[in-house]
Amino acid sequence: MLRLDHLVKKFGGLTATNDVTLDFPAGTLSAIIGPNGAGKTTLFNQITGHLVPTSGKIVFAGEDITGMKPAAIVRKGIGRAFQVANIFPTMTVEEALASAVSAHAHAAFELSSAFPRRDVKTRTEELLALLGMEPVARRISGEISHGDQKLLDVGLALALDPKLLLLDEPAAGMGPEERWQMMDTVQRLWKSQNMTLIFIEHDIDLVFRTAEIIHVLRYGAVLASGQADEIRGNPEVIEAYLGSETDATEADSREEPA
Amino acid sequence: MNLAHPFVRAAGLALVCFVLLIVLALVYPGTWLLDTLTGLFASGLLVMSLHLLVGYTGLVSFGHAAYFASGGYIFGMFLQTPDIVAAFGAWSVPVATLLALLGTGLFALVVGLICARLSEIYFAFLTLAFQMLLVSVIQGLVQYTGGDQGLMGGIPRPEFLGLDMVQVKDRFVFSAFLFLAGVLVIRLVTLSSLGATLRMVRDNEVRTAFLGVNTYRVKVLAFTIAGAVAGLGGVILAILTSAAYPEWAGWAVSGEAIFTIMLGGLHSFYGPLVGVVVMRFINDVTLIYTTHTDLAKGVAILFVVLVLRRGILDWIIDLRAARRGRKEDDNVSRALSKAGKEAEDAAS
Amino acid sequence: MLNIDALMNCFGNSACLVTQSATGLIIGMLLFLVASGVTLIFGVLHVVNFAHGAFYMIGAYAAYSAYGVTGNYYLSVLAGAVAAAIVGVLFERLAISRVYKENLLMQLLVCYAFVLICDDAVKIIWGAEYLAMGIPSEFRVPPLRIAGGVVPPFYLFLAGSALAVAILSVILIRYSRFGKIVRAAAENATMVSVLGIRVPLYFAALFGLGCALAGMAGALAAPVRSLTPGMGLSILIESFIVTVIGGMGSIPGALLAAILLGFTRSFGSVGFPLFVDGAMFLMMVVILVFRPQGLLGERMVR
Repeated sequence: MLRLDHLVKKFGGLTATNDVTLDFPAGTLSAIIGPNGAGKTTLFNQITGHLVPTSGKIVFAGEDITGMKPAAIVRKGIGRAFQVANIFPTMTVEEALASAVSAHAHAAFELSSAFPRRDVKTRTEELLALLGMEPVARRISGEISHGDQKLLDVGLALALDPKLLLLDEPAAGMGPEERWQMMDTVQRLWKSQNMTLIFIEHDIDLVFRTAEIIHVLRYGAVLASGQADEIRGNPEVIEAYLGSETDATEADSREEPA
Repeated sequence: MNLAHPFVRAAGLALVCFVLLIVLALVYPGTWLLDTLTGLFASGLLVMSLHLLVGYTGLVSFGHAAYFASGGYIFGMFLQTPDIVAAFGAWSVPVATLLALLGTGLFALVVGLICARLSEIYFAFLTLAFQMLLVSVIQGLVQYTGGDQGLMGGIPRPEFLGLDMVQVKDRFVFSAFLFLAGVLVIRLVTLSSLGATLRMVRDNEVRTAFLGVNTYRVKVLAFTIAGAVAGLGGVILAILTSAAYPEWAGWAVSGEAIFTIMLGGLHSFYGPLVGVVVMRFINDVTLIYTTHTDLAKGVAILFVVLVLRRGILDWIIDLRAARRGRKEDDNVSRALSKAGKEAEDAAS
Repeated sequence: MLNIDALMNCFGNSACLVTQSATGLIIGMLLFLVASGVTLIFGVLHVVNFAHGAFYMIGAYAAYSAYGVTGNYYLSVLAGAVAAAIVGVLFERLAISRVYKENLLMQLLVCYAFVLICDDAVKIIWGAEYLAMGIPSEFRVPPLRIAGGVVPPFYLFLAGSALAVAILSVILIRYSRFGKIVRAAAENATMVSVLGIRVPLYFAALFGLGCALAGMAGALAAPVRSLTPGMGLSILIESFIVTVIGGMGSIPGALLAAILLGFTRSFGSVGFPLFVDGAMFLMMVVILVFRPQGLLGERMVR
């Protein structure tokens, strides 16, 4: 589904992505882990067109999408939720989802019927049920809990029926209980939506339980790839990861909503 | 729920209002109220169309008066050309109105294409610049526009459909029709999918773009529609005053329009209309005591912005929602869903 | 609308060239003084002071009254600057500081309200009629003749003092302890207040300084302009054109743009008298479309 081919991204003297070659087969659930500054989000930003790679290729569904604009890449079928919930704060949850569905249904400029259109409404209700967000459907997005906002962000990406969904730390800034719930939801969505899913996460336990395939990044390069058991036993990974445990928790606490 | 429902309701409401206004015109013996209302219709369209930009799309245009004036001038200049009026005869006024609408829409489209690329402050400046540019052009092209003096000498308005614009009642009815049509257009936009897209752009333009929406096109479209409707407001004022002046495109008109929205309520559809009425009231009441209306307006603005921190209608809606919330303390979720629906109805 | 012949004649005639250049220079320098106030306030506090023209007006009227009492032009200019600074500090403390964190719309409205109030207050205090201060007695001397052109010494004084004061205040902000503190506070107010510095006072002082520059410009210009309520509007818009063309926050850019605008005004009055304003707005439109950060500006501001 997605192939990264010798991807390099340099910011001045700093190499944020160092010759990354990765393959994400269709229908898989993969995780990208790694200490802070390992270049995980930078990698996502290149896939979604927010950053242009210095060299290398990004191939999605057989097509080279390197250097395309974010909006064009979205239309190819890549959805993304962000590290900090990226939502529409004054709209209700239902309205926001319906707007996203509407945009996907090419109705963003439509004047002829009331919003939301019947098909849009149906799809919105499906999404609400899928996300388990019916109880907060009528609430203002900016006023719901942090966890729900993250979920809504995922929902906005799902509204586009993506073939590939990228989730940047879906459980960031949540309490321990909530984190497990969120990962369960992610897994459930992946199973029910027939798509390829890649997520970034710090918490090794969450990753081991959720992902099929795990890629470990360090200093912008791929340190190891494999299934949970292989990664768990990899001495290099253990060293890299335990060495930066404190950084990871610090980053998490910074993302807590004020 | 019938999907067409909100549209039908809005159109029905407009129709009822139109009938009521006609009845008012028939039974009201004097002229004062009718001309006052006609003036309010003109400002109403200016302010409500600007609200589509400021309130719904998050575009702070500081030059919206340009399109208001453009409407009035196109209407007036068309009708002041004897050959054209002779050619169109009884259809002159409707044709001039349509041309003012389309011409102003085109003008707004061109300006929108240029301005919509820029971020907040620059957008405000550039819209302001185009407004001042229009004032300069109007003042410069003396032989066509009358320059500083405005389109003087009266605008001929041949009778059509038995309506004579010289008659207070007739022009009131025609203005009411234009006003309601304009408000209905804005209402349709806000209720449609396009309206939802506008609100997405206002809330989070970057995210909207990442949902595959061309936000530049959204902003240009909103700017064009708002400009055209403002032009219709200018037509009403040109009908009422039988003239057009460069001051109509002045920054004071734009500034007052922005404030009127704020005064009435930024977050509710009809808020700006409340603002128009209150503004007029402040103006007229102050005039009884002193000519210093600006002083009174300035104090009112500071009060609303610094003390109330929201418009009058927003304040009332918040108050009502809060009261309802207290009543249904046992069922918080229902109260919240109602407040949510209210916000949805208020289309904010 | 366009009179190319007259313009070409003027370019070919040294007398006209000198006279118009001198006029352009004083317009430009006064504009630079006003615009540097806008730029200082925006550059440090990130607030667009849409009420800046009102301080220009306050300066002019205060100077007019002070000249009537003292008969001393230099004292009057000082009075204009001080009056604008005082009103500026009050305005900052009572109104604009409350909307620093609000959006552009709120800031715009507060300034708009202030302009309305000031214009009416001036009408109440000084009346709505045009007032003229006249050239101060110190400068009632025969004009200099340079290459056939006429240049009153007063013009040179105006241009020189406007330029000097604007540059001095920029140096103050850039190199003095006050400037360093206020800039640091704008970056991180909490950090600076922890050091025991009363940040709001510094912000008010900087705002007052910006207003004083506008007031001084008004006072300097009072002898050559007629005074009227609402006189701040055109200077406000011109100074915004200057800041936009030069680049928001850039002082050298403001200087360049002010001279450009001054010359557009003076030579425009020969070549296209009815479209002088239009030409200025056109320049701004072109800059905003092709180089939104301005001629010498560096960053985009959201």
